Amino acid sequence: MRKIRVLIAKPGLDGHDRGALVIAQALRDHGMEVIYTGLRQSPVQIAQAAIQEDVDVIGLSSLSGAHKALFPKVIEALEQRHAGDIPVVAGGVIPSEDIPFLLEKGVKKIFTSGSSTESLAEYIKQLVQPNVDPIPAPKKIAHIGIAVKSIDSVLSLYTDSLDLEIENIEDVESEGVKVAFLKIGESRIELLEPVDQSSPIQQFIAKKGEGIHHIALEVEDIHARMEKLKKNGFSFINDQPKEGAHKSQIAFLHPKSSHGVLYELCQPEKGREN
Amino acid sequence: MDEIKGSSKQRWMNSVDSTLKRFPERKDTFTTSSNVEIDRIYDSSNDQYYEEKLGYPGEYPYTRGIQPTMYRSRFWTMRQYAGFGSAEETNKRFRYLLEQGQTGLSVAFDLPTQIGYDSDDPMSEGEVGKVGVAIDSLKDMEKLFDQIPLDQVSTSMTINAPASVLLCMYMAVGEKQGVPLEKLTGTIQNDILKEYIARGTYIYPPKPSMRLITNIFEYCQQNVPKFNTISISGYHIREAGSTAVQEAAFTIANGMAYVDAALESGLAIDDFAPRLAFFFNAHNNFFEEVAKFRAARRVWAKIMKEHYQAKNPKSWKLRFHTQTGGSTLTAQQPDNNIVRVTMQALAAVLGGTQSLHTNSRDEALSLPTEDSARIALRTQQIIANESGVADTIDPLGGSYYVEALTDQIEEEINKYLERIKEIGGAVKAVEEGYMQREIHHNAYETQKRIETQEEIIVGLNKYTLDEEVNPDLLKVDEELEKEQVKQVQQVRNERDDQEVKVALEQIRTAAKSDDENLIPHILKAVKDYATIGEICNVLRDEFGEYTG
Repeated sequence: MRKIRVLIAKPGLDGHDRGALVIAQALRDHGMEVIYTGLRQSPVQIAQAAIQEDVDVIGLSSLSGAHKALFPKVIEALEQRHAGDIPVVAGGVIPSEDIPFLLEKGVKKIFTSGSSTESLAEYIKQLVQPNVDPIPAPKKIAHIGIAVKSIDSVLSLYTDSLDLEIENIEDVESEGVKVAFLKIGESRIELLEPVDQSSPIQQFIAKKGEGIHHIALEVEDIHARMEKLKKNGFSFINDQPKEGAHKSQIAFLHPKSSHGVLYELCQPEKGREN
Repeated sequence: MDEIKGSSKQRWMNSVDSTLKRFPERKDTFTTSSNVEIDRIYDSSNDQYYEEKLGYPGEYPYTRGIQPTMYRSRFWTMRQYAGFGSAEETNKRFRYLLEQGQTGLSVAFDLPTQIGYDSDDPMSEGEVGKVGVAIDSLKDMEKLFDQIPLDQVSTSMTINAPASVLLCMYMAVGEKQGVPLEKLTGTIQNDILKEYIARGTYIYPPKPSMRLITNIFEYCQQNVPKFNTISISGYHIREAGSTAVQEAAFTIANGMAYVDAALESGLAIDDFAPRLAFFFNAHNNFFEEVAKFRAARRVWAKIMKEHYQAKNPKSWKLRFHTQTGGSTLTAQQPDNNIVRVTMQALAAVLGGTQSLHTNSRDEALSLPTEDSARIALRTQQIIANESGVADTIDPLGGSYYVEALTDQIEEEINKYLERIKEIGGAVKAVEEGYMQREIHHNAYETQKRIETQEEIIVGLNKYTLDEEVNPDLLKVDEELEKEQVKQVQQVRNERDDQEVKVALEQIRTAAKSDDENLIPHILKAVKDYATIGEICNVLRDEFGEYTG
C-alpha cells in the first residue's frame, strides 16, 4: 500500500516552525511521507508544491495571525490548478472565533494549540484512507460474565473444585454490581452479583435465571470500534464508553442487534493490558 | 586564609560605598515583616569559594550579580514588549504602559518590517501590523515616538536583519526631537545567528549579515555610546524547544562568534564588548532557571577575561534581559498562565536579571489585550514591591542545591562550547544545522513526553475542563493593512525621489566595498524617507538572500 504523503507548509512570513517540525516528524513516525516546505511560502508556491509532490493532504501552520488572509488563498490556488480535492488541515495560534470562517473557506479541520500529534495522525489516516480499516480486530475474549445471585455461594465451584485463582473482587457502581474475576488462561471469568434491585443483573436473573450474561471482547480503540459498528448499523446500550472494572472503558452492544448475545467492548486502562 | 577573606569582602564593601554614592539604596534599612533587619548580603565564611567561584556582587566572575548592590538600589527595568497595528495605536499603548509605571519601552515590529518588506509588497499580504507595529519609513517612526522624549526613556527594539535601518530611524527621530546621539539609550536585538537557528526573520546570508552587525558596533561605539548594539538572544532558541543548558550554551557560542567577527574587522575588545547585552528565557523549572542565569554569567566572564583577554571589567559582565516563556503558556484555562508567569519572573529576579518582560495570560491565543498586559506588568511590580525578594542580594546564593546546579550547568555549557568549537565556531555550526538539530530533537522529545503524560501540563493533559471559556482577545483591524499601504505610497509621493535615488545608490556602492561602514549611508537614506523595503532590497541585490 502506498504511504500517505503529506505537505507541511508555512504560509506567510511567520518564522515559528517548532510546531511544523514536530508535526512533520510525528507523522513520519506514523509511517507517512512528509515534505516540509520551509519558511515563507506564498499560497501559490504551496499549491504548486502539493501538486508536484502529489500529496494526499496539506497541513498549514501559522502563528502570526495571518491565517484568515492566507489559508483561503491556498485553497483558491489549489482550485485554480484543479487540485481542489487535496484536503487542507491547519494549526497554530488560531482564535476559536476564526475557526468557522476557515472551515467555511474549505479548511477541513483546525488543530489548535495543545492538540496531540496522535489525534492529527489519526485524523489524516481517516481523511485519506477512509476505506482502509486501521482499527485492529479484537485481540481476545477479555472475560465471560456470569450472572449469580450470590458470589459467596458459587465461589467454591471455581476456587476449590476448578482450582482457579481469584484475581479480585470489587464493586462496579455504574452497573450496580459486585464482581469477582477469576483468571483462566489469557482470559477471565467474571461473576456478577446484583447489589440492588435496579441492577441490570437483577433484572436479568429475574427474567432468565442465573447463567451466562455477556461476553467481553478486548479492543484497543473502543471509540473507533464503536464508530465502525454504529456505521454498520449496530446499536449500543450505552452510546458513549463508560468506566468499568479496573478503570477500563466499556460499552455494551445491544443484544437485539447482535442476535441474542450481549457483547461488551472493553478497552483496558493504559498499561493494564495483559 | 583570614587575610584573603578580609581582602575579598573588603574589596566588595569598598565598591558598595562608591556605588551608593551614585545609586543610593531604596531604603535606609531593609526589614522583614517582623522587623528583622535584612543584610545586604548573606555569605559564606569560606572565602576561597568566593575567589574562585562566586565573586561578591559586582565582582568577577559575577555569579552573584553584576552590580555591587543589585536591587537594593534599583529594581530591574520593567520592560513590556508591545506593538501591534499602526504606529499611532502602538504609541497609545506605549504611553499607557509608561503611565502605569513601566520604566522602559520595548518595540514589537510586524513581520514585514522584520524581514525588510514594505507594507505594499506582495510578500507582506496578511501580515501587516499583526505581530507588531508596521514601520515603512521614518514617518511611521515619528508617529511611534510622538510625545515620548527619547532622552528620558530607553527603548529596546526587537529587530535583527534590518536592525541598522531601524536604528537609523531611531537616531533620526531623536535628532528631530533635539536629543543628541550620546543621550540615546536602548537596545537593538541585532542577533542574526539565532534567526537562522530558531526565529526565522533572516534576510541575507551569514557573512554580509555579520558585516552589518560589526558596522553597527563600530558606528555606535563612536557615535551612540550608550546604546546596546546587540542583544544576544537565547530566548527564541528556548522557545524553539531547546533545554536550559542548550539555551545558555548556544547563546554564548553566538556571542563568541560576534566577538570574533568584531575583532576580525579590526575593533578592539574593550571598545565594543561593554555594549554587548544578552536576552534569556525563564521557563518553569524554577531552580534550574535561577542556576542557568548564574552559570551563564560566570561562563561569559571567564571567556571574556581569560580567552579574549578583555581588560575592562565592563567587558566581563553578562548583562541580560529576561522574558518569561511564551511556549510554556497554554491556550486552555488561560488564567493559569498568570501563575506560571509569576514563577518564571521570580526565577529571573532571583537570577539577577537587568530587565524583565512578563508575558500576558492570553499570549497562546493572540496578542495581549490591555487588561492582560496590565496584569503582566503588575505581576513584576508585586514581586518588586511586595515579596521582599529584592531586599537582599542573590538570596539563593549558598543554597546547596542552587550552587550545585550552577556548577553542573556551567560544566554542561562548556561541553557544548567545546563541541561547537570543534565544528568550527557558531557560524559554521549554524550553517551545518547542528544547533537546529539539537533543538528540534529536544522539541520532539518534549512533545512525546507531554502526549504520554510523562510531563504534566496543568489544564492541557491533566486537570482539563470539558468546556473552555473563550476570553476576549485583541483583534487587529483587517482594514489596517489597506491604510498602511496607502500611507507608504503617500510617503513615496511626497518625498524628493531624486534624493532617495542618490542615497540608495550610495548604499549600493558602500555595500560593494567590503570595508566601508554602511550605517552613515543608511542614515542618510532614512532621513530622505527611503522605505525599509527599498533599503533592504538594495542590500538583497548586493548580498543575496539566505534560503534556510
